[in-house]
Amino acid sequence: MPLQYGFVFDPSKCIQCHSCEMACKSWRDVELGIHWRQVKNIWENHYPEVTCVSVSVACMHCVEPECIKACPEEAIQKLPGNGIVIVDKEKCIGCRTCLDACPFGVPQFGEDEKMQKCDMCIQEIEYQNELPPCVRACPTQALLFEETEEERKKVMEQSVQALLSR
Amino acid sequence: MPKNNKGPLTYEEALALSKKTRQTVIPTLCGMCGPTMGCGVYAFVKDGIFTKVSGMKESPINHGALCAKGFVAPQWVYSPDRLKTPLQRIGEKGEGRFREITWNEALEIIAGTLKHQKEKYGPETLAMLSPAKRSYSDYLYRFLIAHGSPNYGHSGICAIQKMFSFMYTVGGNLRGCDYQNADVILIWGRQPIYSGPSQGSARALVKAKQRGAKIITIKPSVEADGGFADIWVPIRPGTDAALALAMLHVVVNEDLIDHEFVDTWCYGYDKLKEHIQLYTPAWAETITGVPAGQIIHVARIYGKAEKAGIDLGNGVEHAPSANDAIRAVTILIAITGHLDRPGGNLFPPSGEMPTPKSVHLRERYTREWVDKLVGPEFPKAFQPFVEGTSSAYYRIFDSVLTEKPYPIRTIIAPGTQPTVSTRGSKRVVEALKKLDFYVVADVARTADMDYADIVIPLATPYETDHPFEARGNWIMARNRVIEPLADYKSMYEFILDLGAQMGYGADFWNGSMMDSMNDQLTPFNMTIDELRRHPTGIKYKSMPRTYENYREFFSKNSPGLSGKPFLPHGKVEIYNTTFEEEGFNPLPEWREPPESMTGTPELVKDYPLILSDYHTSKLYTASWQRNVPHLREIMPYPTLHIHPDAALRRGINNDDWIIVESPHGWMKVKAEIYEGIRPDTVMILHGWWQGCVELGIRDFPILDGGANANNMYSVDPDKAFDPLITAMSSQTLVQVRKA
Ligand code: SF4
Ligand code: SF4
Ligand code: SF4
Repeated sequence: MPLQYGFVFDPSKCIQCHSCEMACKSWRDVELGIHWRQVKNIWENHYPEVTCVSVSVACMHCVEPECIKACPEEAIQKLPGNGIVIVDKEKCIGCRTCLDACPFGVPQFGEDEKMQKCDMCIQEIEYQNELPPCVRACPTQALLFEETEEERKKVMEQSVQALLSR
Repeated sequence: MPKNNKGPLTYEEALALSKKTRQTVIPTLCGMCGPTMGCGVYAFVKDGIFTKVSGMKESPINHGALCAKGFVAPQWVYSPDRLKTPLQRIGEKGEGRFREITWNEALEIIAGTLKHQKEKYGPETLAMLSPAKRSYSDYLYRFLIAHGSPNYGHSGICAIQKMFSFMYTVGGNLRGCDYQNADVILIWGRQPIYSGPSQGSARALVKAKQRGAKIITIKPSVEADGGFADIWVPIRPGTDAALALAMLHVVVNEDLIDHEFVDTWCYGYDKLKEHIQLYTPAWAETITGVPAGQIIHVARIYGKAEKAGIDLGNGVEHAPSANDAIRAVTILIAITGHLDRPGGNLFPPSGEMPTPKSVHLRERYTREWVDKLVGPEFPKAFQPFVEGTSSAYYRIFDSVLTEKPYPIRTIIAPGTQPTVSTRGSKRVVEALKKLDFYVVADVARTADMDYADIVIPLATPYETDHPFEARGNWIMARNRVIEPLADYKSMYEFILDLGAQMGYGADFWNGSMMDSMNDQLTPFNMTIDELRRHPTGIKYKSMPRTYENYREFFSKNSPGLSGKPFLPHGKVEIYNTTFEEEGFNPLPEWREPPESMTGTPELVKDYPLILSDYHTSKLYTASWQRNVPHLREIMPYPTLHIHPDAALRRGINNDDWIIVESPHGWMKVKAEIYEGIRPDTVMILHGWWQGCVELGIRDFPILDGGANANNMYSVDPDKAFDPLITAMSSQTLVQVRKA
């Protein structure tokens, strides 16, 4: 079975420091108003028993990406070999269909009105033997990067989706 | 394929990365919450532009991690809000009209004014306002001492108040607790996550939790730390002393006491036993809003656990009963057998690293010197305390207005913004209008610079190669990342040059920062150039941890002129005879904040909610850095945390603009419907005034109608301050409605 790159997120270790988000923004020069990675707080229960859980979410580079299925222009593709999902800005017409389809609310639209999102730092990983800056930044190893099997990656997708829908 | 999760960059890896990306890499220290011994960083420069930051794995302080602020340093350095040249005010105070002047002109004007005032009114009419503890704090002291003034204005909101009460109770500072070994951890009035997330405490909390330690958090509202807490004790702001007294009531009456320790090492336990009978959990429930049952439950968990620690934060230092709260907690730690034992609260460790030679001129203090204090932060009998002689920050402004005991004539504000950093903003503005001469020195626009006579534009720590920093077992040289972007000097150079201009050159290494650093490095047998050859600094060994260091700490002498021991009986001062001799209560008591549910019930009809403010945030350092767009995007507007029930009752929705009104002022801010807060309490981050050019967000007014929490509180000298340690209250009652 072919391996894919994936993020592993452990909410029990996340302290909501936003370092991953900031590392992404600064290392990838992401434009103002756009978030390729976002840290969210999710409240659970009610006062005084209230507690909370965190999620750091970027594109999941899904095993079966809904965005690709939805895109009318075939502007999104999943790279063979590493499973990274990328957007072809030439083809994208900015219709935002992918945003409706994505279970994680990931696609972003900035100045050029084309879809943009995390590309998993494909340059850094493939050509520089580096970790993505967001993962390198996490002080508690709540956010990890791995080369993994489809099945495990699907489980990860489901768990982040479960967090977001709490 | 990369090696999986090898974590942050080492120097070698940073060099390799910089080569691949055609950049240069400079190892240095982060300057976003300092300058102080910050986190080790690698700064990347491309074509002469500072572009990116990464954490330094070798640093024993941050182990390669950085907080959100650390990554966005370039945006702060290149901000359009940076000052460009020295300025002299030409308009009316507050108007904001200046003319550009040269450094020489600025230094001449300041020195000319100081010389004139020194001759005519005495050197003590100069006051310097303390920023938070900075690497340059001792240089400020040095200047004051060379000039002849004891008036270092320290703000009673952070760390020093706690240190005072700890040291006069157990002889040592109890910073944090033993997260590694504790089975029970009480996080009390502290935010271990946002207070240095990249440094020890957040990781320690995560590890403790994973190990199964029971986490109890005591605060009016929870943030991300709420996700780690097994029990949240939702206490009303400013009532920590009442809670601690009731916990003492429980542990004493249920005999959860380490009698051997108490018999051998405590003074005045019997008096305490009698004294605390007043403070029952039922009594505390009415004040703190914490159910009596929960108080008893938590006191029992803490009292019964062998390894239990209390991580006490700055939150408890923001009330007129601060000293009582800190003392009561310290006594609780001691009598339950949790002092300097594994898992408990530990005395500071020692290491093999020498201490750099101090630049303070403490040896010149005399009785006469202390007598000249315009408004002592601690009573004169306790001066100087560890950092030197000090007047309370707000009392400096009071002296300007009341001219008692004499008026301060010049205030220098080095990296501090009094209108947004200390309580009673209206009074501060009044005083700034009346003041003879006001100097502001900072890297960017400040909230009150429009009142300044002279404004000094400082280099950021990324534009200077000094000072070196030493903390714990690590010493490292700061390296310059880029040349200063404009006509900047560092704070150190400003003080040295001003010293030379005043004729104090001999005390200021004749203006040479290099000589200053080499002088400080004498105990290391090393020059700054030699230190600089170690790109990631030098790490020394730490001594193996020892416990129960009672004999050592219980016999420590105070830094006061008398040199008397902190603990006259060589034991824990449960009953404090030193305080008693000076006319203060020897046992902790309860004192209401100036406005509260139980202290001023007559106000509750018109002002039914309690307001307090957060001291730390995950994104900003105090009242700075709102101009950094990447940070501001995450938290663009000042938001009031309000419980859904309290919001619903007022027809307030998330993100609505709202008016928050207290008996002293009002704010216009946004509502954040917030599950993790007491329904009778609302909270806001302090320090809001600055806009963000890049995001098109304008400045907020400093007084009414703005978002400045300091404008909301009482500054009644009889009610708003702790009588012994001058801690300032940050609680009041408010009404909240839709704007
Ligand atoms: S954009 Fe959304 S659907 Fe597409 S791969 Fe990323 S997470 Fe999956
Ligand atoms: S992998 Fe790269 S682009 Fe994706 S979130 Fe992390 S830093 Fe941003
Ligand atoms: S860096 Fe790690 S701990 Fe911090 S917010 Fe991101 S995932 Fe959470």
